[in-house]
Amino acid sequence: MEIAFYIASVIGAIAVYLMMPASGPKPKKLGALLGLATGGGLFAYLLSQTPADVRPDLYFYVFALLAVGSALRVITHPRPVYSALYFVMVVLASSGLFLVLEAEFMAFAMIIIYAGAILVTYLFVIMLATLPQAEGEEEQAPEYDRVAREPLGAVAVGFALLAVLCHVIFSGGLNGQTPKEVVKTNPASPPIVFAVETVPGRIIDTLVERELLTAEAAADGAGLKMRVEGEGESAIIKATWGESGAALIALTPELKETLEGKIGNIDRVGSALFEGHTLGIELAGIILLLSMVGAVVIGRKTVYTEPESREPDLEYMHKDEPLSDVSVGEQPAG
Amino acid sequence: MNETISQVALNHYLLAGALLFALGLIGFVARRNLIVIFLCTEMMFQGIVVSMVAFSRYHMNFDGQVFVIFVLTIAAAEAAMALGLVVLLFRRKQTLDADAWSSMKG
Repeated sequence: MEIAFYIASVIGAIAVYLMMPASGPKPKKLGALLGLATGGGLFAYLLSQTPADVRPDLYFYVFALLAVGSALRVITHPRPVYSALYFVMVVLASSGLFLVLEAEFMAFAMIIIYAGAILVTYLFVIMLATLPQAEGEEEQAPEYDRVAREPLGAVAVGFALLAVLCHVIFSGGLNGQTPKEVVKTNPASPPIVFAVETVPGRIIDTLVERELLTAEAAADGAGLKMRVEGEGESAIIKATWGESGAALIALTPELKETLEGKIGNIDRVGSALFEGHTLGIELAGIILLLSMVGAVVIGRKTVYTEPESREPDLEYMHKDEPLSDVSVGEQPAG
Repeated sequence: MNETISQVALNHYLLAGALLFALGLIGFVARRNLIVIFLCTEMMFQGIVVSMVAFSRYHMNFDGQVFVIFVLTIAAAEAAMALGLVVLLFRRKQTLDADAWSSMKG
């Protein structure tokens, strides 16, 4: 199985090298076809190699191919605007992957923040930082977009990294088992018991609803943090705050289902975020504030246009007079 | 909702994440346009994010998705700062070529 990944890495490297923008004529169409064939072949091979019961959802393959194909275009398209738009495709495709993984909140946050906010900022900057083109040269991208720097070295490094990652992932570097052994010894991964303790509020509501906990006791423990200990037939609800005391209730499968059915992805992410990472939230706020201040400071700076020549021009450098002063508009922060 | 994905499925997701990361790395090294270079770092973030959500699902541990939120925060902050700098650099030299600043190598 592993040799297939090495072959795919080599062919993929050739394909990406052919697709890289270069000054001379290069068979870019051939590279694109080769890349498409390699990606499609790799995922078809993976699909054929995995037994149906452990296979990821079929949509995984659709979205993964879409993401990788768009990623190829991001790094090979000579025009930055198209690169940015293909990157939107990458974001949308990986949001599809998150939906397949039932991480709905992540999928929509990705679309709103990445595709909606960050990429729009990128597009604005691309449009701000594009030189006016001379008559008759509309189709000509600038030289630094048309010619890649060291494409051979970059592709070699990237695909060497990819081959190593494939080796680690698929040779069992993660847990000492090859995928096939895992399938043999562990046909269905044991379902991990959901930690009910993560959303106390919902548990209390449900318990009151089912008359397992009196309303007074629930109201008494405002800010009550409950833990459900034990699995199976019964569980102890422990109050760690307030005086409502511990109660032993039966955790029937039905009750468990009710409790779990009410708790979606966003509840779990929210409780994981606010119960375990409060310091992280504070730091994230500070980082956003700092970047906003930084962007404003950078944006207000008056800059002097330097001469276009690449070599430092001593005559210009010693001139005190600025050629022109252009003040840069403020950047949207985040 | 309460079932984890299998190890094999996890490996597939990790492969997709690794592909995005490697392609972003290639673009980061090979492209010369400053904006596209930053775009490629965002693509490397995407690869990491796909891996983290897949791990989060495999272990049913939602800290992985919490980290994605932080990655989004950092990406937004980085985009604001970096793009401001890019515009500043562009105003100075009227070019987005990263090689134009090679004199900073010292």
